[in-house]
Amino acid sequence: MIAMPERAGYLPGLDPDSVQWEPRSYGPSDASLSVLLPVLESSQIAAVAEHVRIQSAAHLKALSVCQIVDAIDRAVARLLDRNDPYRRRMDSLLPVITGYDPHMVQQGLTGYLKTFRKPQLQRFLAEDFANPTILDGFQPLTKGGFGQAFGPDVLAHIWAGNVPGLPMWSLVAGLLVKAGNVGKVSSAEPLFAGWFAQVLSEVEPALAECLAIVWWRGGDTAPETTLFQQADLALGYGNNESLSAIQSRYPSTKRFLSYGHKVSFTMVSAAALDASKATATARLAAYDIVRYDQQGCYSPHMLFVEQGGSVTPERFAQYLAHELAAFEKKFPLRSLTMAETSSIAIWRNVEEMTQGGQVFGEEAGAWTVSYQSEDNTFLPSALNRTIRVVSVGALEDVSAIVAPFKNLLQTVGIAASPKELFSLATTLGAVGVTRICAVGDMTTPEAGWHHDGRFNLLDLVAITEIDGRAELAADRLASYVD
Amino acid sequence: MECEVVIADLLNFIAADEPGDTAFDTLALKIFAYQFEYNQSFAKFIRARGKTPRTVKTWVDIPAVPINAFKTLDLTCCPPVDAAAVFMTSGTTLGGLRGKNYHPTLRVYDASMRRNFADRVMLGQTQMDMGILFPTTAMMPNSSLAHYLNLAVQEFGTPASGHLIDEDFINFDRLIAELTRAETTGRPYTLLGASFSLVHALDELQRRGQTVRLPAGSSILDTGGFKGQSRELELNEFYDALSRAFGVPRNRCINMYGMTELSTQFYDNGNNVCPSIKSGPHWIKTRVVNPLTGVAVAKGETGVLAHTDLANFNSVMTLLTEDSGIETDDGFVLLGRAAGAQAQGCSMAVDEFLKAAGAA
Repeated sequence: MIAMPERAGYLPGLDPDSVQWEPRSYGPSDASLSVLLPVLESSQIAAVAEHVRIQSAAHLKALSVCQIVDAIDRAVARLLDRNDPYRRRMDSLLPVITGYDPHMVQQGLTGYLKTFRKPQLQRFLAEDFANPTILDGFQPLTKGGFGQAFGPDVLAHIWAGNVPGLPMWSLVAGLLVKAGNVGKVSSAEPLFAGWFAQVLSEVEPALAECLAIVWWRGGDTAPETTLFQQADLALGYGNNESLSAIQSRYPSTKRFLSYGHKVSFTMVSAAALDASKATATARLAAYDIVRYDQQGCYSPHMLFVEQGGSVTPERFAQYLAHELAAFEKKFPLRSLTMAETSSIAIWRNVEEMTQGGQVFGEEAGAWTVSYQSEDNTFLPSALNRTIRVVSVGALEDVSAIVAPFKNLLQTVGIAASPKELFSLATTLGAVGVTRICAVGDMTTPEAGWHHDGRFNLLDLVAITEIDGRAELAADRLASYVD
Repeated sequence: MECEVVIADLLNFIAADEPGDTAFDTLALKIFAYQFEYNQSFAKFIRARGKTPRTVKTWVDIPAVPINAFKTLDLTCCPPVDAAAVFMTSGTTLGGLRGKNYHPTLRVYDASMRRNFADRVMLGQTQMDMGILFPTTAMMPNSSLAHYLNLAVQEFGTPASGHLIDEDFINFDRLIAELTRAETTGRPYTLLGASFSLVHALDELQRRGQTVRLPAGSSILDTGGFKGQSRELELNEFYDALSRAFGVPRNRCINMYGMTELSTQFYDNGNNVCPSIKSGPHWIKTRVVNPLTGVAVAKGETGVLAHTDLANFNSVMTLLTEDSGIETDDGFVLLGRAAGAQAQGCSMAVDEFLKAAGAA
C-alpha cells in the first residue's frame, strides 16, 4: 500500500509549516505505510500547552459535564460508523501500524468504542461522583457544606505501546473533568489519538482548541520538561524503567499518575472442567490470549487449572492448544521480529526443560502452550500467544503463588462457580489483583472500571469545599439580614 | 566407542590443514553417535526432537541444544565427578543458575585454543610480551576465560608476560610500567582482557592524562562485552578510544567471541569496521537460523547463531545460542543478544518482569 503520508498529531495554535515532520515507515516492506510525526521543540510545546490552557479555560470549562458527555458521544457515534472516513482510516491503517490482524483490530475497536457512548460515560462519571454536576458547580456535600471538583488546567499524558485506542481512556477522563489536554503519542501507534481529536473538533467546535496531540523524539527530554512545567498534573503509561525515569524528571511539587506495565492471569476451577463445559472454557481462555497477541496489561501470562475435574489440567492444556490453533486460522498472529521469535524460542526451551514440563506449539511459533505438572512458579510468558498452564490442587492456593508479585498484578480471568468467584476474589484482592472478570472478558474492561484499582476521574480533580459554617457566617453579612 | 578414540581423532583433525567438509561431516557424525550413546540428557533431548543417529545424515541435521540447557541438565558423556575441569557461566540470568560445561580432559580444549590463537592472534610470531587484564585461574577456577588467558600467557607469552590484576583490581601502576617499557624497548606488546577491564584501563589512563604509543606489531584482544561492569560504549567509540590511548591501530584491535558452553573461540581480523566479521577454525561451523524451526535463514538476514564445535566432544557439539547475527561470505556478523524483546503494549516481557520482581 503506497498512500499519501498520514500525519500524526493534532496541534491547535501551531502553524503546521513551522513544524518539522519526521517520516516513519510501518508494516512489512511490501505494504508499508509512511507516517509523518511532528518533531516538536520545547518552544512549540510551550506554545501549544499555553494555547490549550487558555482555550479550555474559555470554552471547555464553560460547558456542563452533560454537554461534554454529549460531544464525546457524538464523536464516538461517528467512529462506530464503519463508513465514517476516520473510522475507515482506523480500520485500514491501524493493522498496518501495529501488525495486529485486521479483523481483530476492527472488532476490537468497535467493542472498545462502545464503552465510550453516553450511557457508558454516565456510568464512568457515576462511578467516581455521586453527583457528577459537582464538576459544574458547588454541590452539597454529605458532611455539610458544598464542594466543587476542579480538573487541572493542563493535563499532560505520556502514552506508550501499540494497543489501539489506549490514549482514549485518559483523554476522555481528562475531558470529563474539563482539563485542557496535551498528550504525547508513542511512535509504536501515533495516529489514533490525533484522529479522535480531529473528530471531536468536528462534532463540537468549542472543544477544537482544548486538546493537543504531540510527539517528540525519544530521548529528547527538553520538550518533556517544558510540558511538565506547563502541566498541573501528568499521567504516564509505559514500562517501569521509563516511568521512573520520567518521574525523576517531574517536578516533585506536582502529582504524577503512573500506569506501569502489569501482568494478568487466568484461573479455571474444576467446576468448569466437566466434559460439556471444558471446551467452551478453553475457547474463552484462548480468546483472551489471542486478543492483541497478549500485549495488553490485562492479557493472561499464566493459567492455573484446578485438579479434580473430569477433564484433567493436562487435558485442558491440550484443549487450549487446540483452540489456539483454531484462532490462528481466524485471527493469525502478527509477524514477529527476530527478537520476539528468539524470546519465544528461549521461553519454550526453558519450559520444556523444566521438570514435569511439556510444550505443545505450532512449529514456527504462532502459538505455544507449556503444561507444567510440577512447577507452579508464577512466570511471565514470552507474549505473542504463549501461555504457561500449571496444575494446582485447589484454586485457593493461587493467591500464595502470586503474592510475591503484588505490585505487578492486574486482571484475573476466572471460570468458577459463584461461591468460588467471591471467595477467590477476596484473597486475590488482598494480594494486589485489581480486576476480576469472566474468562473471555479479560481484554475488554467494562466502562467505568477502576484501572489498576484507581479512580480514573477522582484522581484527576481537586475538590474545593465551602466549609458548612461559611454559609452561616455569610448569612450574617447578607444585605437582607434583619 | 572409547573416549580416547574420539580425542585422538579430534587432535588429528585440529592439527590437520584444511581437512575439508566431508571429513568434518564424518567426524561430526561420529561424535554425535558418541554423545548420543554416553550423554543421557543429550540423548533424551535428541529423541524428544524425533531424531536418532539413524535419521541424522549430516551434521546440519543435528538438533541444536539451547544454551539454557547447560543450566538445568548435566550435559556430559563422562560422569560429572570425573571431569578434569568444569567451566561455568556467570549465572546472571534466569534464577541465577549457572551453565556448566564439563571437560574430562583439557587436551582438546587446549589444542583448539593453541592452534586457533596462533593462527589468528600471533600471526606467525611464536612469542610476544603479554599483559592480562583478567583474574588468574587460581582466582577463578571455573572460568573458561581465565583458563584461556592463562594458556595464552603460558604458550605464547615471553617470560616477562603476566597478569596485571591483584585480587580483584587492575594494578594500574604495573600496567602503565609495562606499557612504558614496551614503548622504550620497541618490542610489540599484546594486551588481553575482558572488554570492561579495558574500559577501566582507558578511564584510568585518561584520569592520569596519559597516552601510550605501543610499538608497531602490538595488538589488543578484548572479549565478553561490558556486562554492566563498566561504562557501555558503542563499538566504534570503544575501538577508537583503544586506538587513541594505546597507539594500536583498529585493525590490530581484535575481538574474541567465545562461550563457556563451547571449546573453540571465534575471532575477527581487527575492528577497522564495526560490527566486524567473526570466524572460527575448520573444526567449528556456524549456521544462522530461525531459533524456533532451526532452519537457516536466507543469507544476509538476521537470525540466531547455532554453532557446531567438534572440540566440544564431551557435552554438546551443536548448540543454539541467544545471540543474533548475520551470515557473510567469510563468517558472520555478531549483532548482540537475540531476545530481550519488549512488550509492544502495556504487558510485561520476561526481562522487565524479572527486573521488576527482583526490585519488588
